[in-house]
Amino acid sequence: MKQSLKFVFGLSGLAVVLATLIAADHIDAPSSAGTSADIADFYAFEPTEGSNNTVFVVDLQSNVLPDLAYGTFDEDVLTEINIDLDGDLVEDQVIQAIARDGKMYFFGPTAPTQTGLSSMVYTDFLLGDVQISGSTAIVETTDEGVSLFAGPRQDPFFFDFFQFNAVISPELGSAPGGFLPVGEAADTFDGANTMSIVVEIPNSMLGVPTATNALGLSVYKTWVTTNRKQ
Amino acid sequence: MKLRYRTFLAAAVLSSVLVGCNDDDNSMYMYDDMMDDDMMTVDFSGTFVQQDHLGRPGINTTLSYDMDGQPSIKDAHNTTIPSEMTAMFQAGFQARLEQYHDVYALKLGLDPADVNYENNILGLDAATLTTVLAADVLEVAPDLPTTYFDPGTDFDNDGRILVPDGDEVALTGRRLNDDIIDVSLILFFGGMEGDRFSGQDLDDDGMADLPRLTSDGVSLTTDISTMFPYLGAPE
Repeated sequence: MKQSLKFVFGLSGLAVVLATLIAADHIDAPSSAGTSADIADFYAFEPTEGSNNTVFVVDLQSNVLPDLAYGTFDEDVLTEINIDLDGDLVEDQVIQAIARDGKMYFFGPTAPTQTGLSSMVYTDFLLGDVQISGSTAIVETTDEGVSLFAGPRQDPFFFDFFQFNAVISPELGSAPGGFLPVGEAADTFDGANTMSIVVEIPNSMLGVPTATNALGLSVYKTWVTTNRKQ
Repeated sequence: MKLRYRTFLAAAVLSSVLVGCNDDDNSMYMYDDMMDDDMMTVDFSGTFVQQDHLGRPGINTTLSYDMDGQPSIKDAHNTTIPSEMTAMFQAGFQARLEQYHDVYALKLGLDPADVNYENNILGLDAATLTTVLAADVLEVAPDLPTTYFDPGTDFDNDGRILVPDGDEVALTGRRLNDDIIDVSLILFFGGMEGDRFSGQDLDDDGMADLPRLTSDGVSLTTDISTMFPYLGAPE
């Protein structure tokens, strides 16, 4: 099986492919890489044990490398947090965020009238807004107990991704020992910033999931998208 | 700067505090600024088309690959809806996973046919693992502690890192400090014990005989907080 795979893909082709920069989702694909719509990362977590809230963190853009778009939320880019409740991998609720004139406006959560690759802003379902922060965080909390933030933050992602590129290189002399030990390895993202959108929202506003994960635990199935105005 | 908003419907009811909304498709939104009384109308009209997608970190970047002269699979992944991802990407992900093992077989001077993916700590074979990963969504549990996965914990003290037996909490979201790269590496290269390729010195000569593929050797370097918005101030 391995031989046939090598025949299909060819090691010479690999070298071209693997030159592409790789990270969590930072710079992950040719069309979106380095643009104002490039998703860098996505987190979803319970803020404290026993909390009835869920926190969503969407990181857009990055200054980890020169010449990448970084520093301003593009008003033509609509960010959507998608939440599937029943496990069919189709969004049942969406939370939207879009910047206008120094503020980030949030809409939803609401059932989208149209799922898939094309969206509109659900202006009937304003969640709230927050002034886009500078280096000091400006936070807004709505009457419903939703906390909102948008602005530059440290990029918490960590990865020795230059070594990763060496590890996966088919060159025989490239990182034959694999990754570097603790102390020699370097976090490529140390010192990098990203443009973060953070929403903390009561679970009661999202609905009760019937979906389960591989261990049978009840979960929201979530993903984030960026969408550009046509 | 505290703003108060009204929906378009509420605007009609509360017209005494709202001005300027004259659009009938709800794409123009109006609000009043209670602090400085700066009334204005905001335009949210238009159609927005998907550019990028992310569920689980590092999946498109590590398991999709683009071939010179071929349409970009990575781009296609970013513009495919999750319910169609498994059909489109699973086979390619599995091939890529095997290909990584071939690369290290050659670096070790071994026959690639002899160095293959082995079922991982979740007991998943390559087809099942890549089926799970191809549907690129992040699962988050509303009522349980969050852990992407804790590869260092032997929950049931059986000597294995994790053998699911129904009482574990894992795959319940992603915290800011979760080492998702190490988790992915363990799932890809760790085998059933999670340490299959972890730089072992097999002949006790002080030199590693197997490559270190199950950890990239780094951990969180940024400031995070227990308070919203949780992320450290920009550097």
